[in-house]
Amino acid sequence: MLWPALVIMAPLLLGPLLALLHESLKPYVGGRIGGDDAGALTLANYAEIAAPEYVRYFLDTFRVGLISSGLALVLGFPMAHFIVRRASPPVRRLLIGGLVGTLFLSLIVRVYAISMTFGPLGPLSGFSRLLGIASNSPDGAELMVVLGLMNTTLPLVALTLIGTLQNINPRLEEAAMSLGAPRWKTFFLVTVMMCLPGILSAGITAYAFCISNLVVPMLVGRGFILFVSNLIYARFSEVANFPGGAALSIAMMVISVGLFYGLLHLVRSTWQEAGK
Amino acid sequence: MSKRIADALFEAAYLSLITLFIAFSVIPVLVALVLSFDARGFMGPFPPTQFSLRWYERFLADDYYHAGLATSLIVATVATLIATLAGTLAAIALSRATFRGRAALQAALLSPLVVPNVVLGFGMLVFAARLGIVDGMTRLIMGHVLITFPYVMRTTAASLVGIRASYYEAALSLGAQPWKALVQVTLPLARTGILAGATFGFVTSFDDVGVSLFLTDAFTYTLPVAILAQMRANLDLTIAALSVIFVVATVLLIVLLDRLAGLDAIVGRGVYGR
Repeated sequence: MLWPALVIMAPLLLGPLLALLHESLKPYVGGRIGGDDAGALTLANYAEIAAPEYVRYFLDTFRVGLISSGLALVLGFPMAHFIVRRASPPVRRLLIGGLVGTLFLSLIVRVYAISMTFGPLGPLSGFSRLLGIASNSPDGAELMVVLGLMNTTLPLVALTLIGTLQNINPRLEEAAMSLGAPRWKTFFLVTVMMCLPGILSAGITAYAFCISNLVVPMLVGRGFILFVSNLIYARFSEVANFPGGAALSIAMMVISVGLFYGLLHLVRSTWQEAGK
Repeated sequence: MSKRIADALFEAAYLSLITLFIAFSVIPVLVALVLSFDARGFMGPFPPTQFSLRWYERFLADDYYHAGLATSLIVATVATLIATLAGTLAAIALSRATFRGRAALQAALLSPLVVPNVVLGFGMLVFAARLGIVDGMTRLIMGHVLITFPYVMRTTAASLVGIRASYYEAALSLGAQPWKALVQVTLPLARTGILAGATFGFVTSFDDVGVSLFLTDAFTYTLPVAILAQMRANLDLTIAALSVIFVVATVLLIVLLDRLAGLDAIVGRGVYGR
């Protein structure tokens, strides 16, 4: 039963990977599409990425992604907690329907709606001023990107955390409170601590989604905030530097896959050692 | 600080975070809804003063969007069918497999979830060029099978956890052929998961931008790519009207999914479910 998947997926997974690897080693000749087939293979395209002006894009990607996924956890956990512990069945159904709906709603539509709402003519344009940020400054663009990314990851985080919270015994919280612990202490020292592996896993998944995003920086970053994805797309669409784009792609792929599985492994091994 | 005040403060913070979550998710959609009825021909301050259906009429009259919608529907349907067929079988096979490297194979099949879509799209473009495939539709379907497969396989695999292998084995020991046991026992039990997986796959394909941007050609483009091009070209409100149509379609999809599979079945009730 595995063979249909293998026959279909093996070429689709390996073909692009090998094609990119090969392309990234070709010398780039300005003015032609695709690397020079006649030239000797080179690592020059990778050396170019290590230049400080490129490293900046990587740092922006990782920093903005971290802020966005962190905020998504802060908002997503109470929502998941509310749905699992407090909501009546109809409210629970409505909220879960809303979360799945937001998850399914086209990303472009959501980013468009955000830019119309928080943009210069939108009803919530004052939000950035509330935080002391001028909306037309680079910080303003970063705020919009953070809002856009949060909107993408919030439903995902909340739905994942619902799964986590459902497997934590509510009696533990009741026990803490009946022994006299205040609500906040119960919440942080019992509920959050018990959910910590799930919270971290949800955060890592959200982070992986944030740093691969293309649409949000493209539509609301206004050129101030560009992710590595945008850089790769520009290599393809604007300058037709295929070898350079391929080298960036391979670098980004290695970093995202390494970060995702590395961090997830770290979380799992830490909690296994603790005897869970 | 007394315990009562601390509890009240905590409760206030807790409820305001939940309110913030809902407001942040709902308000932008409402703003798009209001703007889609704006009668002004320019981007004016919110809220609009006069209302009309002009943006909906413009969308209905615009062949550019219609062509994108048709391509999106074809690509999403074909990719989802292929991914669901292969993904469901793979999920069932992997749930029973005991061979070495099973976990590695599973991780490899799920890896497109973690690799940025732009990388997948760019890779597929270069790969298709090497194979001599220049047809937009073929390239798009290849790319979309790659991104929908992991969603289908993961969702189906999660739903298989609750189905005991002993049912399938019981059918076998009662003399059923393996394929018959699969079709009549395992698949019906897993249908909620398969349906949810296929829905996720379809939505992923229909919404995709990162992969499609690289694989479209001048005549074959998906709806999100068409919207993106329009968005960067001009700021008219046809996209707001389109957004409202998307929202309505999504709500219908959720209601349908709830009727067919039950949202609770998809999210699960957990060990301590009420």
